[in-house]
Amino acid sequence: MNAIRTENLTKKYALGWHKGRLLALDRLNLHVREGEVYGLLGPNGSGKSTALKCILDLVTPTDGAAWIFDVPCPQVESRLHVGFLPENPYFYRYLTGAETLEFYGKLCGMKGAALWHRIAELLELVGLAPARDRRLAGYSKGMLQRIGLAQALIHDPRLLLLDEPTAGVDPIGSRDIRDLIVRLKAMGKTVLLSSHLLAQVQDVCDRIGVLNLGKMILEGDVNQLISDQRRLSFTVEGLPAAGRQQLEAAARLAGGTVVTVEHPQTTLESLFLAAVNLDKRGAGHHD
Amino acid sequence: MTDHVGFSVRRVWLIAGNTFTESLRQKVYNILLIFALVVIASASFFAQFTFGEDIAQTASYELKSIKDTCFGALSVIGMLIAVVGTAMLLPNELENRTIYTILAKPVRRVEFLLGKYCGTVLLTLVSVVLMTLMFGAELVFKETRLVADARAESARQAIPTDAQQLAQQIAKIHAAAFDPDIVKAVLLIFVKLCLLAAITLLVSTFSTSMVFNVAVTLLVFFAGHMVGIARDAWQGHALLTYLLGVLPDLGLFNVADDIILGNVIPWAHVGKVVAYGGIYLSCVVGAAQLIFATREI
Repeated sequence: MNAIRTENLTKKYALGWHKGRLLALDRLNLHVREGEVYGLLGPNGSGKSTALKCILDLVTPTDGAAWIFDVPCPQVESRLHVGFLPENPYFYRYLTGAETLEFYGKLCGMKGAALWHRIAELLELVGLAPARDRRLAGYSKGMLQRIGLAQALIHDPRLLLLDEPTAGVDPIGSRDIRDLIVRLKAMGKTVLLSSHLLAQVQDVCDRIGVLNLGKMILEGDVNQLISDQRRLSFTVEGLPAAGRQQLEAAARLAGGTVVTVEHPQTTLESLFLAAVNLDKRGAGHHD
Repeated sequence: MTDHVGFSVRRVWLIAGNTFTESLRQKVYNILLIFALVVIASASFFAQFTFGEDIAQTASYELKSIKDTCFGALSVIGMLIAVVGTAMLLPNELENRTIYTILAKPVRRVEFLLGKYCGTVLLTLVSVVLMTLMFGAELVFKETRLVADARAESARQAIPTDAQQLAQQIAKIHAAAFDPDIVKAVLLIFVKLCLLAAITLLVSTFSTSMVFNVAVTLLVFFAGHMVGIARDAWQGHALLTYLLGVLPDLGLFNVADDIILGNVIPWAHVGKVVAYGGIYLSCVVGAAQLIFATREI
């Protein structure tokens, strides 16, 4: 079963009196399989958020249709098993972390001990247990993003729609969210992730679709799409200079061309995380 | 087989409770309510007259003045609380994107809208109750002082007033202070505030500006008070009279002046006006839902 299916999903926004209409989404045919992490990529204004809004019935498609677990999206029942994290979310500032989750849990029909057990579990999962009784007005951007994730997960949905889940979050928070998505996938959840952080998408997504000017211009399995089938790379450790020359000669002898020989580089993200993790001073350190 | 998600009063109440708490913690609300309570509490300081020798007559003027100030505060500041509170609801939800997280759950738009409206009505109710309690306390305070003054004045006179005359004066003061019809005026003010909140809600379903929402409601407020006069002036013009029917006749809710003057307002009349207000605001909330159901968020 497809977790999400859209057929010719089209959205045009009116631009105003005599200014025509903007084509935000152009006949999108999206199939997100149950249990996979799907990355929806694209530059700003490419139609990613519009696609999510159409799926959630926040805007009405001009043409085409969408289904969640085979339930047509205009039906409220389609959202029974969906958790949604909007881009840069803000919540009710006067509520504490626990009260926020209580509100969203009750909206989903949860109550009693089961709800409070779930709240404690989620606050632990997103690392906000120490801030559970603090008002959201005092939360940082990263903490708001985490509480947003927790509210999306409150009713243990089968499908998660995450719109730019790491926007404005520092690399450590970003890494935590990425790890959480991997854990959710291991739990059998389906995740539709909208982002333009390509490295992150590459890390966690099984398949991606690239939107540009409202149209799907590329779609497929991440590993297949990014591997260059015409080239091979070897990473060799402890090779002396003479050995390197022999290897290059062997490659030429076999009919290949040595294109680059270089030392493998780490990513800036890994470098940053390693440096921060090495700094053992801990939170709250002052000069 | 999909689980059916029916209309849920529980979800409406949950959103209403959230809206109520949210509004309660807004500075603008607290300032307005404190201002109203201060105005009501200080009403007796602006109501100290000395008209001739008749103590009962003077007391009546003073009590009328207090009622006038208190009804005015209830009506005007109550309107500001109801209208400003409602005007901020949808624009804030859209700006903060909290509406996305709520409507992405199995929540019907009608539940969301009704929840928001009921939250404001609850806020208005609490404000009106607090202002009315202060109004009552003010009347008790004034009545006690006026009775004490009457007794002191009687004792001070060369020939003290006889007990029966004093008792009559005190009874007059008591009757003027504790007129049960005050409840009727407060009830109609509350219904009028709910009606104005509904109109603001309707405007905010197609506008995103809080200022616009308040401005349009104020226009309807002033036009609504002219309906009675305009209807008399335009008698015979079918089209104009028909158009007037679209506007709420807010003059119907103003019984406070009659009550201050001592006129009796029958409960049957109050019932009719409440029913008119109820039907009108139901139509307005229904229209708001029709627009909100298809609004792009």
